[in-house]
Parts: sequence; C-alpha cells; structure tokens
Amino acid sequence: MLLCLLAAAVAAVFCADLLTGPSALTFSQALKGLAAPSTLSRTEYVILWEVRLPAACMAVAVGVALSLAGAEMQTILDNPLASPFTLGISHAAAFGAGMGIVLGYSLPGIPANWLISGNAFVFAFASTVLLQFMAQRFGASAQTLVLFGIAMFFAFEALVKLLQFIASEQTLQQLVFWTMGNLARADWTKIAYLSAAIALVAPFSMAASWKMTALRMGDERARSFGVRVERLRLFSLFRIAVLTSFAVAFVGTIGFIGLVGPHIARMLVGEDHRLLLPGSALCGALLMSAASIASKTILPGVIIPIGIVTALIGVPFFLWLVMQRRYRA
Amino acid sequence: MRSVKYFCWLFAAALCVAICAGSPAWSQSEVTLTDIAGRKVTVKLPVRHVVLGEGRQLTALALLHPDPVSLVAGWLGDLKRLDSKTYELFRSKNPAIDKIPLIGITNESTFSVERTLSIRPDVAIFSGGHGPSARSAEAVRQLEAAGIPVVFIDFHDKPLENSVASIAILGKLLGQEEKASAYIKFYQDRLDLIAKRIAEAKLKRPTVFMHMHARLWECCPSPGKGNLGEYIVFAGGSNIAADILPGATGQVNLEYVIQRNPDIYIATGGAHAINRGLAIGTYVTEDDARKALQTIAEEKGINTLSAVANGRVYGLWHHFYNSPLNIIAIEAFAKWFHPELFADVDPRKTLAEINARFLAVPFDGVYFVSLKPEKR
Repeated sequence: MLLCLLAAAVAAVFCADLLTGPSALTFSQALKGLAAPSTLSRTEYVILWEVRLPAACMAVAVGVALSLAGAEMQTILDNPLASPFTLGISHAAAFGAGMGIVLGYSLPGIPANWLISGNAFVFAFASTVLLQFMAQRFGASAQTLVLFGIAMFFAFEALVKLLQFIASEQTLQQLVFWTMGNLARADWTKIAYLSAAIALVAPFSMAASWKMTALRMGDERARSFGVRVERLRLFSLFRIAVLTSFAVAFVGTIGFIGLVGPHIARMLVGEDHRLLLPGSALCGALLMSAASIASKTILPGVIIPIGIVTALIGVPFFLWLVMQRRYRA
Repeated sequence: MRSVKYFCWLFAAALCVAICAGSPAWSQSEVTLTDIAGRKVTVKLPVRHVVLGEGRQLTALALLHPDPVSLVAGWLGDLKRLDSKTYELFRSKNPAIDKIPLIGITNESTFSVERTLSIRPDVAIFSGGHGPSARSAEAVRQLEAAGIPVVFIDFHDKPLENSVASIAILGKLLGQEEKASAYIKFYQDRLDLIAKRIAEAKLKRPTVFMHMHARLWECCPSPGKGNLGEYIVFAGGSNIAADILPGATGQVNLEYVIQRNPDIYIATGGAHAINRGLAIGTYVTEDDARKALQTIAEEKGINTLSAVANGRVYGLWHHFYNSPLNIIAIEAFAKWFHPELFADVDPRKTLAEINARFLAVPFDGVYFVSLKPEKR
C-alpha cells in the first residue's frame, strides 16, 4: 500500500519535473504535448521531448539505481552510513572521468564521444571488481570490505586530487563540474543503458531479499537460516557495482541519494527487504526528481549541478524526517 | 704647467667616462613602470631573459620581438597543453622552444618559485589567467626579495581596458617602444571605430548566445558579464547569458537558450576541441572549421534556434579571451552583429596586417568562421 503511494508520488514529481523549466511552455501545453506531440511547435517539441524528458527520465533512473545500491550496501556492510560512495566507487569513476578530461586519456576501443562516461564506468567497475577480489581473498566479512573500501576511497580521492593539481584551469573547471553531477548529460542511449542495467539487476536483488532481511539480524543468525553470507555479500557487491557504475558514469557523482533514499524507505516500510528494496528505489527516484526540479528553478535559466542540490535540499528534509521519527518514538 | 696637468686629469676623466659608457657592464639603464596591478616596478635594461607566468603570452612578445622564443627563459606549460597547434607554429620558427624549462604546468598552484629563482630571469611577467596572479602575493614577494622584478600584464581579466597598457609595458621592458606604439595605434584605431559607430548608430542590439567549448562539455557553458561576454557587449550585441548568470561564466540551461531564441549563435573551440568540438585556430582549414561548426549546429536544441535557420552561426577561436589579438575577435563580432554598419571592416585583413607588420611568427590558420561561406 505504502509502495503504491510512493510510486504515485514518484509519478507526480516526475510530471512536475517535466512541466518545470525556464521557458514559457505552459502546464496545459506540456500535458497536451506529452499525449500528442504534434500539437507542439518545433521549439516546444524540442524543449519537452529532447531537453526536459531525457533529464527527467535520467533523474528517475539514477535515483532508482543509486538508492537501490545504497540499500544493499547498507545491509551487506551492516552500516547505516554506507552508500555507494563509501567504498570509493564514485571516486574511482571521477578518476576515470578525470583521466579523460585532464589528460585526454581514453581506454582503447572507447569512441571519442564516450570518452568521459566510458572511462568513468570502466574505473568504477574495475575498482569494485578489485574490491571483490581482495575481499574474497581475505574473507568477505563486512569489516574486511569496509577496510578495503576505505583504502580504495582514499587512494582514488588522492588520485583525483593529483589530476586536479596538474589540470589546467579550464580542465580543472570541467572536472570539478563533472564531480558535481549534472542531468544535462542525459541522452536516450545513456538512459537505455542505465534502465537495462536496472532491469537486469533488480530481479536478482529481489530474489535475494529474504536473505538480505536475514542478514540484517547478523551474520550468525543468517548463517543459521542457511544463508551463505560471504557469497551473498559478493553477489550483492556485484549488483551494487553495476548500478553505481552506470549511474555515476552517466551523470557524475551525486551523493546523498544512495545514503538517504534507503533510510527514508526504512522509516516508511521497515526492514523487510521485499518492501525495503523497492521502497528505496522509489524514494531515490522521488528525491532525484525533486532535486531536478530545484536545480532548474533556484536560478531560472541557469543549471545548478544536481549534486549540490541533492545535498543542500536533501539534508534539511532528511533531518526533519529523523526528528519526526524521534518524536513519534 | 699647471694647466697641462689640469688638462691631463680632464682628459683621463673623459676617457674613463667614454670607456665606462662603452662597456656592457656599465651600460645598463633602468626603467620604472607602473604595471597592470598598479605596482611601481623598476627593471634593469636590457631585458634578455623573461619568465612567463602564462605561456600563451608568447604571442604578445611575438608582436614586439623578432625572436620571441629566444627571450623566454622559463614558462608555464599552458601553451603546449591548451593550444598545441600554436605551440607547433612557434616551434616551426624556433625549435629551441622545446628546451624552455617549465616553471609550472598550467595553473597557479603548480608554479615553482624555486625553479624560477634558479633560472634568474631579468624579469618575471605574470598575467593571472592560468598562472600566478595578483593573488600570489607570497610568490611575488619571494621573487622580489631575490631581486627578480615581477611585472603584471593582462589580456584576460579586463581585456578591453588592459590590452593597450599591457603592450605598452612590454614595449618598455623589451626596449621596443616604437613597435609597441605602432601596434597600440593600430589596435586603438580599430577599437575606437567600432565604439564610435555603435554609439552613433543607436542600433537594436541583436541577442547573442555564446556556447563555450561547444560539444566538449554538457550544454551549455557560457560567459556572463565578464570574459568573452565583454566583447559581445562592446561589439553591439546583447548577451543572453549575462541576464541570468551570477558569475563571469556559468552553465546555462539549454531550454533557456531555446526559449530566448537568440539572433546569433557563436561556438568557441580550439586545438583542445579538435575531433570532438569546434576545430578552429592554428593550422585548421576553413573547410574543417566549418564542418565542425555544422555538426554543432545540428546538435539537439541548437538546431531549433532561428540563428541556425537564418545562417547566423559562427565559430571563434577560444583563446581570443586571453590574447593581444583580441581586436580580431571584436571586429568579427561587430561584423557578425551589424553586417551593414561594418561592411568595410574586415577581420581577415586585420589579421593579415598584424601578420605582415607585427607578428614575428605569423598566425596561420582560421580563427573565426561562419557557417555560411562569406562573400569576399
């Protein structure tokens, strides 16, 4: 029931996202244009279908991917502070992007217009594979994962800073912009890739949901239910890698969603992962769509990178939720 | 007898003065000038070795000196990194350019005072864009404490105000005041002509959108009230991004651009954009630049602008934002914005004249382009 309400809220905010922008395209025009594109002038068509719609869809997809990944991450690490950022995946992606932006370095076989996204994806994914390999080698406990992840986090952070240090002012600006996240990077191909990744991974997440619920009670309890905990962690990590790498590669690093989406979902639907995982995905989508609206409307005509908005708008909202819960409890 | 002795002393003294005046060690004079940052700086002449806080200021030296590369004893690596083709151009005239020691990479934080000190230049010329700036107070103090005068020039922060003064400063430093005055006259005459006609004609200003690094970044970085935006206003245009951007540059929403539907669209590019964005600048042919511009004009959103439908789509070499040759960009803008008013102005000719009269290393390439081939 709550999930249905959440889904309805996502749909509503998504529509609001589609209907906001700096141009004079009116509410009714846009609605009509969605149903019958032929009623729009060429300009209005492009605004609605080629500027707003890709960004709005990307917002939803990225929200789903990051928040779902965050929910899994918090469970397998048994850590409420975990998010796709904790293990350095985002920094690895930023480093890959930076190699392209600052050094013009491209991995072989990646076409020029995919230079930045391609690099970002490869580095994000490779860092998680490396993490998995190390974890497997030294026992995939939550603690080992976190420690290796923290090492990765700082290593890639330092590498990104090294790139920033040697960058020219112009490439530095571009790299810094990249790390702030921006939905203007969206296009249909990228949305298709990210949606495919979600469609591919989500069923496996759902299939693992009862094991994840068991894991929330601790490694020992989960084992007593017959859950192969290490295996569960590694597969989950793989899913997280796919979701995060695609999302981050396409829009840049966007913090907060992967951390807070799952928490909001947990407040709403509780710990049962059959509800928590879809709930997190929906909360993530909701937050991203709301942030997308804000990034366009705070300074009309100017795009404020969405990574900034998610934190600035999201944090007070999150704090308010936490306090509400405290009072009710 | 006494008068003979007196005469001998006088003769010896005169001889001494003559010898001293003729010997290089004693011929050094000094020049005291006020630089762009408003500081009074005394520099011993002649200046033979300079360090450039920004490698791209080599163009400014090339306006005044027959072999600018030979003057540079150390520099930041921005010319090679940001405008590799122009670097090649200078190398074709003097391969020693590859041996100039680096004193930093392309930004202020990589600038090494120690390296500069070890080079012992006659003067350090800083210009703020990508290198040490007036903010680098500590570096400036250290250099000056070591007896290396620091002079600030500027073609970047306030190009319309400071370009002329910067050339004058370089003229004094290099002992090329005549050549500097000639360039200043050439530059100022052209600038004045544009300013005067625009003031008198009271034309309607066409709306202009400048898309920086088109296709290289996500849409749409644009200059606001500063940077290349200043050229737009000076040349009689109305910069649509200046109405909304809080800073000198920023990211404009594509939807805003579509909605404002500017009369004129200008993309910028350069050697850094070859293969992906607008290929333009040194060694680029007009056909290649136009082809790249065509691809940009077909980008989603951009293709709906009436500027595209009306063929008022142009491309500009990005480095004009920090160059003493910026008059070429300003003339090109004036002509694009008000073709009838400036029918007699020809930036091509201006470049050709700068090449013939001033530049030791003539610029070779296409630095501005229009989508529709212009009638010549």
